[in-house]
Amino acid sequence: MTTALLIIHGLVAVALLGAISHQTLATWAPAHARPGSFFSRFRAVPSASFANAIVVLYAVSALLGGIVYLYFRVDIRPDLERAGHWHALGLFDLKEHFVAIGLALLPAYWVCWRRPRAAEPPRTRGALTSILAFIVWWSFLIGHVVNNIRGFGS
Amino acid sequence: MTSSHAFRRFAFAYGLAFAVLYVVALKLDLALITVYPTLGVVLPGTHHSRDVAGPSMAFLAPAMYWYGWTATAALGALMFGFIAALLPEQWTRRFWLGWFWLAPALAMIACVYLTMPWFRL
Repeated sequence: MTTALLIIHGLVAVALLGAISHQTLATWAPAHARPGSFFSRFRAVPSASFANAIVVLYAVSALLGGIVYLYFRVDIRPDLERAGHWHALGLFDLKEHFVAIGLALLPAYWVCWRRPRAAEPPRTRGALTSILAFIVWWSFLIGHVVNNIRGFGS
Repeated sequence: MTSSHAFRRFAFAYGLAFAVLYVVALKLDLALITVYPTLGVVLPGTHHSRDVAGPSMAFLAPAMYWYGWTATAALGALMFGFIAALLPEQWTRRFWLGWFWLAPALAMIACVYLTMPWFRL
């Protein structure tokens, strides 16, 4: 059951990673990119349409992570402590903190993309998107590192 | 005042307040609840094993505070969010929008600082 939840958590995270990376690159990529280039094709995609999916995927991923975290604390973390993986545990703690902060940013992020105002500087939207992208990438990579320390199914 | 404008103010205030309050909750160890996953028990407030038994209890019944810190920050941020939603539009226009992304970024840096003890072990 835990392994199934972890795999679903990972799959949702992959989808989220793709969506947020695409949106972040599209946000910051130069507007004067050469026609037909990678960046110009990236910008041709309406970034705002990713916002709903990113909010839902982030929320679902955080929820699944919150459930799996219970098993991690009981079954995995004591072993990591005994093995002295203090750095990995520290990095994982940061993942917890970042995910919580990112979760609370979702309403503001959604408003910036779906209810933008003309007077609002695009920097706010870009910055919020970048922060979320950083959190998603961090969480994905650290989650994998911690998962791989013990090995799958061990 | 439309509901859309009120939600916008709520959303921005919530994100900012949560980031600040989360760091406060983490630093002061203010968990609204403490979860004991092996026992299936959730206690209100922050509890450490030394409060009730010897330190060895931490291995027998590990306590989890992350849910509690998150709940503390979320509850506080909800209050700030609702207050911001009720404020007149012209009051909130003076607020620099940069705080809405700068505060979470600074909160993340503060979390790194508070997590440093793990890296000194």
